[in-house]
Amino acid sequence: MSRPIAAAIAVAAVLPASLVGALVCSAEPALAHFDAGDAYTHSDCPATASNRVDPVNVVFTGWGTWGRAASQIETHAGWDATSGSTQFFADHGGCYSLHAQRASGEGSRFHVRLRGQHPDPTLGWTATGGVHHEDLVFFPAPCGHAVDSNGAGGSGFDMGRAELELVFAAAGHAVERVWWGNTQSFRQCDGDYAASDGWTAFILLHQVNH
Amino acid sequence: MTGTAVALALCAAALSVLAACGTGDGRQGAEPRGDLTLDEARAFDELPLVYAGELVDGLPLTAILRRDDTARYVSFVYGDCRPTGGDGACAPPAEVQVWPAGARNLDSYGSATAAQVTPVPEPTTIRGLPGAFFDDGRRLEIYTPWTTIVLFAHSRDHVLTVAAALRCLARAPPSESGNRTLDC
Repeated sequence: MSRPIAAAIAVAAVLPASLVGALVCSAEPALAHFDAGDAYTHSDCPATASNRVDPVNVVFTGWGTWGRAASQIETHAGWDATSGSTQFFADHGGCYSLHAQRASGEGSRFHVRLRGQHPDPTLGWTATGGVHHEDLVFFPAPCGHAVDSNGAGGSGFDMGRAELELVFAAAGHAVERVWWGNTQSFRQCDGDYAASDGWTAFILLHQVNH
Repeated sequence: MTGTAVALALCAAALSVLAACGTGDGRQGAEPRGDLTLDEARAFDELPLVYAGELVDGLPLTAILRRDDTARYVSFVYGDCRPTGGDGACAPPAEVQVWPAGARNLDSYGSATAAQVTPVPEPTTIRGLPGAFFDDGRRLEIYTPWTTIVLFAHSRDHVLTVAAALRCLARAPPSESGNRTLDC
């Protein structure tokens, strides 16, 4: 791994205590804690290992409600398409449909699915997402969008995460990576396999939308 | 040639082009595939590879994948699955990944301050080696001095079945299962 272990930075260290306090006091979310226990999306409920579809590889924190995450993805990345199939996220033993999805177009594209999760005393409001780059594949039918397989620049999962990291960092958001190790391979409809490299991006959102 | 025949010919040509574009390399089939053959994996000298044989728990070895980009490992995929829907994917029943120990190990999961945002390991010992379960037992990592062996399966029992079948690839003839040491 080219990235040193020290780069697996705790997001808790990223959030200043004053900000955390402000979040807790002013937002008044129903505090639980962030659940990093299931690092995959699912094709159905209940969430099982056999219906996993994509790795979760991005987490929005601070004012990271799913609505703000979607809005700021539209603003910073320009992804305003909303097409895509429904997937499900696990949280504290439950299984829930996505809240929103955004994509950079309808053909070969970047695509992210989002689900708001439990607010957290340290992280604030949180939303998890599965982001990737995918190709539009016509054959073998029935196919459709297939995440790029592992290649020289990383998989489609890694490319999608890197794109969000790039545009949010350029807009002044704090972005850190945390090692989750969710590197299971997923067979795509074109027969290729794609997997995350195991790193999840934590992106700090502010209150005001653009 | 009639108008209908011309149209059909144009459609066929267009479909051929689309097929080539869609798969990126002109491949027509949809069967699982990999980056290495078993012989190539057996000759692989960058890591001491282990795998679970050509058949484990009733699941055939269906693909061998090699990553050397933002991640670095060799993966052995067991069994098959069928993606559903227009943009779905699916999880094969079992997978064995072999990483360099320096790239992935228990310390990768960070310090106590990171505990709330990282998966929590469940320490264990597997065949005399330190290991850790994650994902409620559906992921097992075994830490050897040189490699980290990562197993994925649909349940803890299946993970343990795959772990029991692990063997050194370079020493194992295709159907031989006698040498079960992980000190490869």
